[in-house]
Amino acid sequence: MKHALLFLAAAIAPAQILDPAKLLQPPTDTWATYNGDYSGRRFSPLKQIHTKNVAAMTLAWTYRINTGPGGGGGFGSSIKATPIVVKGVMYFATPDHAWAIDARNGRELWHYTTPTKGGIHIGNRGFGMYGDWLYFETPDNHLVSLNARDGKERWKIEIADVKQEYFSTPAPVVIRNHVIVGVGGDSLDVPGYLESRDPETGAVKWRWNTTPRPGEPGAETWPNKDAMEHGGGMTRMPGTYDPELNLYYLGTGNPNPVMAGQGRMGDNLWTCSIVALNADTGKMVWYFQPSPHDTHDWDAVQTPVLIDGVIDGKPRKLLAQASRNGYYFLLDRVTGKRLVTKPFIPVNWTKGIDAKGQPIPDPKKEPQPDGSLVAPSSNGGTNWPPPSFSPDTGLLYVQTQSSWSIYYLTDTEGKPQGWGGRDQMLTARSALKAIDYRTGDVKWSHEYPGRGFGMPGVLSTAGGLVFTGDPSGNFIAYDAAAGKPLWHSRLTTAVSNGPMTYEMDGRQYVVVAAGDTLYGFAMMASWK
Amino acid sequence: MQFHRFRSLFHFSPPRFASSRITLAALLTVSFAAAQEPPAPPPRPAGAKPSAPAKPSFLISRPVPAAEMAERGQKLYVAQCGFCHGTNATGGTQGPDLVRSVIALRDDNGELIGPVIRKGVPDKGVPPFASMTDVQIREIAAFLRSRQQAAINRGQYKIQNVVTGDAAQGQAFFARNCAGCHSPAGDLKGIAARLDPVALQARFLYPVTRTFGRGPAVPAGKPTMVTVTAGTRVLKGRLEYVDSFSVSLRDEHGDYHSFALDVPNPPKVDIQDPLAGHEALLPKYTDADMHNVLTYLVTLK
Repeated sequence: MKHALLFLAAAIAPAQILDPAKLLQPPTDTWATYNGDYSGRRFSPLKQIHTKNVAAMTLAWTYRINTGPGGGGGFGSSIKATPIVVKGVMYFATPDHAWAIDARNGRELWHYTTPTKGGIHIGNRGFGMYGDWLYFETPDNHLVSLNARDGKERWKIEIADVKQEYFSTPAPVVIRNHVIVGVGGDSLDVPGYLESRDPETGAVKWRWNTTPRPGEPGAETWPNKDAMEHGGGMTRMPGTYDPELNLYYLGTGNPNPVMAGQGRMGDNLWTCSIVALNADTGKMVWYFQPSPHDTHDWDAVQTPVLIDGVIDGKPRKLLAQASRNGYYFLLDRVTGKRLVTKPFIPVNWTKGIDAKGQPIPDPKKEPQPDGSLVAPSSNGGTNWPPPSFSPDTGLLYVQTQSSWSIYYLTDTEGKPQGWGGRDQMLTARSALKAIDYRTGDVKWSHEYPGRGFGMPGVLSTAGGLVFTGDPSGNFIAYDAAAGKPLWHSRLTTAVSNGPMTYEMDGRQYVVVAAGDTLYGFAMMASWK
Repeated sequence: MQFHRFRSLFHFSPPRFASSRITLAALLTVSFAAAQEPPAPPPRPAGAKPSAPAKPSFLISRPVPAAEMAERGQKLYVAQCGFCHGTNATGGTQGPDLVRSVIALRDDNGELIGPVIRKGVPDKGVPPFASMTDVQIREIAAFLRSRQQAAINRGQYKIQNVVTGDAAQGQAFFARNCAGCHSPAGDLKGIAARLDPVALQARFLYPVTRTFGRGPAVPAGKPTMVTVTAGTRVLKGRLEYVDSFSVSLRDEHGDYHSFALDVPNPPKVDIQDPLAGHEALLPKYTDADMHNVLTYLVTLK
């Protein structure tokens, strides 16, 4: 009898919700990670919606979040997460809140909320998923594991100390039985790190520090132990992963003190770097540093996009980043060797490019007590919103800003603290740019009228389309090859996340967030 | 680091001309300001302790100590601790930095630093201050918190002297590049009496409406005008809105007109941006030019 019961229990136990094999496939009926898959391309093979019929794409549903009074922690309730979709259910999060909704019609299935101990409530990128379990991070630096079926909390574990001014925003990345978590917070010079956590218990499996300790490689790029220990380098964005090489690629944050570099002379490794880590050990295999000795808040956390391309007639494993400092970089992702370094907006802060292909910062363009005039502003040539790469066009689509700031050094002490400076933005112009991955040349650009900028991510599809937002609140579908807008819809506010797409019942949906609302678009007319 | 976000809200105010951005940015600025507005304090029963003041910034997520408590703590600190740890608590020749000390950061009201102060750290040469009272320890904790928050709150960092150039060279640059639109005896008369040098520096480079959220609002200059030609119909007025798909204006009677641009024969749109000259100059300044022009403008009191 006992055996029979056990057998019965086993027989009716449901299959785990996320099949791990889905993590290794291009996103179609499933969008299982922040970037849709491990490559960071945000390219969907779906093509039901395409250049010839997108004009008829229409609103299928909306879902507006309600985080209650004060729920935005001073930032309003803006959805910056890219939702994940698994077996017809969509999961997404904002600071201290998480939801599951029906991906077919936007109906709420559950809403989880957790009390906070503080931390800057600026944003949350959403979930990672392992089987039946969801993982997200909170502004007070807890990794929360929820049951995807009902949103019930399984555990909530502290990964960083909010009292030291850490706050956490990234979406965890699940690789086999590693839940890779990062931390954020550059107010008061704390050191950054990346950890693998156990999906069942949350225990640390490995940890990689973004700044060396005395005697370790990279320590020669810092003046002393104190500077390394207060050197910053946050891990605030999800990385990408090559399963064949078993390498996890991550862009790291800016060094601290943020704008006062006089107490940390040197390149300040491994801040503002693209690093390749062994996914099972966390050991660094190679690095490339887009911004040595950064003093402009230009972190290098922008998605390291994995491209399987062709260079000089040979197939190559490549990695592209349009970096916040205004430069496009193309690297060999096996070795980290640089192939292309090219600005995609006007920049005036470098003295040239070194032998490794890294920009050489001009000390005169560091923040000065009486101001230095620099392009771009601290918001950068681009920022955290994810770009997209289409293998069909060979173009990397990047939301860009051409901008100027006056950078002031306010702390002239030998050992400054915090930011030690600030910048006054003057003006900015936004454009969506399509960059040829092989050369860094801008093949087409759609410039938005007026000044200012938005923070929209980008999606491209096999339907020959690129989806993104503009600074005015439009959600736009472009012809991926030529850059012509083919469709648009003006939402209640500017697009605030990376758009994503999935297929259900033979129908392709495109979902985007603008502020507190998710919008689901599809071809809603009946078709045969 | 994490931009998304907020620096745009307090560093970057929308230029006063109408643009695709203005509605959004203005809304964001307003809602942000509203979010920071301290709520009205509830009525306090007689004899109750005053509550901590409202947080001064979104960057500050912990209670702000009362100023008078932090000041008393500063006096105690400077007298007892400053010799080794530095008068600003950033560390001295003998004692470490206390602003970024993990113990001081984890401390809330003296419960962690109190035992260290009272017992001392004999192997590191820190003497015990056994007679320090609980109140005094809380005051020192309040002082250290205020130092931490001063380092965190970059919105309040003070900019040093920016008037470092050569006025004569600045005047010559002005004559070559700016005098076509501006005159020291006309629109710029007394500009330096209305704007402090930091605000003036940002505004002459690009006339943003606010500088670090401070300084008086400057009277609106010329509006951005637009001419829309739709077939034989020509409409002129103040630009109210433009994006990739539509444009709108107010005519001289105050009537509103808007036009679709994503149509087979879109109207012709000619925007006359009075700030185009400022934008075109940005790539041409050396930092010396910037300092020289400011030093000249500062003489226009």
